[in-house]
Amino acid sequence: MNAASLTVPGPTARGVMNRRFFESIWHIRGSVPLPPEQSREEAFTRLAPLFRETGTSHECVDDTLRFTKKDPAAQDKMAVFDHGELQIRDDGAGRALHYHMVSRMLLFCFLAPLLFVAFGQATILIGKYEAAKEQAAPKKPEKPPVVRTLNPIDKMLGAPAPEPPKKDKKPEGKKASATSAYVFAGIFAFLYLVGRILEQRAIRRTLGRRLAGE
Amino acid sequence: MQANGQAIGQPTGQGTRVGKRIIGAQSPVTVGWENVPRVEGSRAKVLFFTWFQPAVLFALVAFWYYAPNSIAKASTAIGIGIAFKAFLLFLEWLTPRHESWKLTWKELTTDLFYVGLGYTALRMVESQIGSDAILSAIRDNFAMEKLAFFTSLPLLVQAFLIMFIFDFGQYWMHRGMHNWYPLWLSHSVHHYITQLNINKGAVGNPTELFLIGLGIGGMFDFLPRAALLAGAIGMSVSTYQHINVRFNTPGWWRFLFNTTEHHSVHHSQDFEGSRSNYANTFIFIDRIFGTCVDGEAELLGMEGGRRMSIREQMTYPFTEAWKTMKEKLSRRPGTASVADAVPAE
Repeated sequence: MNAASLTVPGPTARGVMNRRFFESIWHIRGSVPLPPEQSREEAFTRLAPLFRETGTSHECVDDTLRFTKKDPAAQDKMAVFDHGELQIRDDGAGRALHYHMVSRMLLFCFLAPLLFVAFGQATILIGKYEAAKEQAAPKKPEKPPVVRTLNPIDKMLGAPAPEPPKKDKKPEGKKASATSAYVFAGIFAFLYLVGRILEQRAIRRTLGRRLAGE
Repeated sequence: MQANGQAIGQPTGQGTRVGKRIIGAQSPVTVGWENVPRVEGSRAKVLFFTWFQPAVLFALVAFWYYAPNSIAKASTAIGIGIAFKAFLLFLEWLTPRHESWKLTWKELTTDLFYVGLGYTALRMVESQIGSDAILSAIRDNFAMEKLAFFTSLPLLVQAFLIMFIFDFGQYWMHRGMHNWYPLWLSHSVHHYITQLNINKGAVGNPTELFLIGLGIGGMFDFLPRAALLAGAIGMSVSTYQHINVRFNTPGWWRFLFNTTEHHSVHHSQDFEGSRSNYANTFIFIDRIFGTCVDGEAELLGMEGGRRMSIREQMTYPFTEAWKTMKEKLSRRPGTASVADAVPAE
């Protein structure tokens, strides 16, 4: 064994790391230290109410609890996760509850900006097509501008009169704007960052409080 | 006791009689304004939650009525709309009406996804095959102009007509959705929401969002200021349909306009309750046609409050339609189906 093999991970280890990094988009991993003297049975008993929610099923095998959720209630504290695994083990730093949760909602939110960018591009394409169609169509005769006036009641109450038609005004075509699509792409990118941080903290807090019996 | 001009009987333990109907037999529904709780707390809090709604409404009407033409533009309306919704979201966080309706990250993300769809994909579809596009094609084909008669009316009358014409059509479309199975399939997804928050009005299958947006407004010409007034009045009334905040809404407002209370009854898990309060803005349309129930409910949704995922919200009308069609096609002549025995909803 040379020095390089000690510091540079092998292809398998690197592959695992890459996969973990990629998965961290929608997987949440972490651990909560167990209160001193708390047995495995007691820890799972304290966590049990979390898995009695509507649409949740779970199984305990030895020191591992696996759960799945289907259509969880909106106020379920773990509603954002679809399935996951909780394990009590000692990694040298003391006994702790290690968890690994998977959330399709986080993945959806991560990908949503791409969807809205695609909508924006589609809007521009349709706009170009419409403009080309409009140019190719025979021109309609220009209508005389309509002068609109306010009702006498509105004049009396002091409402501003409508703007008179402008002589050099260009004919109004439907402008295809992708702005709203890009704004929503930005909103979802921001929502993802908020959700990824918030949900990681929330699940850690929830599990910690349950284990402490709060 | 009266609700909708109909006699309300005493609660029977199995619901409350409203006219010929029993409301709240399947799931709790509070019937009658005197039974609906009011905002409690400091004098300042009570004053705020009593006057906020009318103050915003009248302030916006005054603003759009007198704003100079350089300000009275759609971009100003969009800015005000965003600020108003942001403030209401803050109120939902500060003083939620029900803890069971609190906005979570997942709920907010789901709601905003549908709001986003409305501003992008749905708008694209509507620009091609929406009612305005169809009416514009008809007018072009027959060389018709928009009916310009309304532009000579007072601005507030025009604004009312813009809203009323749309709301009246929407009332019947919505009522139709609760009474005809194919339309119900499209609308049912919206009834799977289990809580009310300000963006929940946007949640639903895209086919429904398209259908509910149909109207004949494209046949009429109005002054731009009247359209802005209509938008502002609509925003400062309809937004409260889906909101997790309690207000001491004035009696005249509750008589004229749809409120969170009315809409929570419409979304309740109680079948009869859900067949009431169809109008979007003007609840007096329901009063005219005998479908108004004054009251409120906290337990909302379908199938005992099962929350649908976005994927199911997108596919449900089609998968249910396929199941129903397959069942009907596979049925042998002369045999009755269990499905025949249950109402469309």
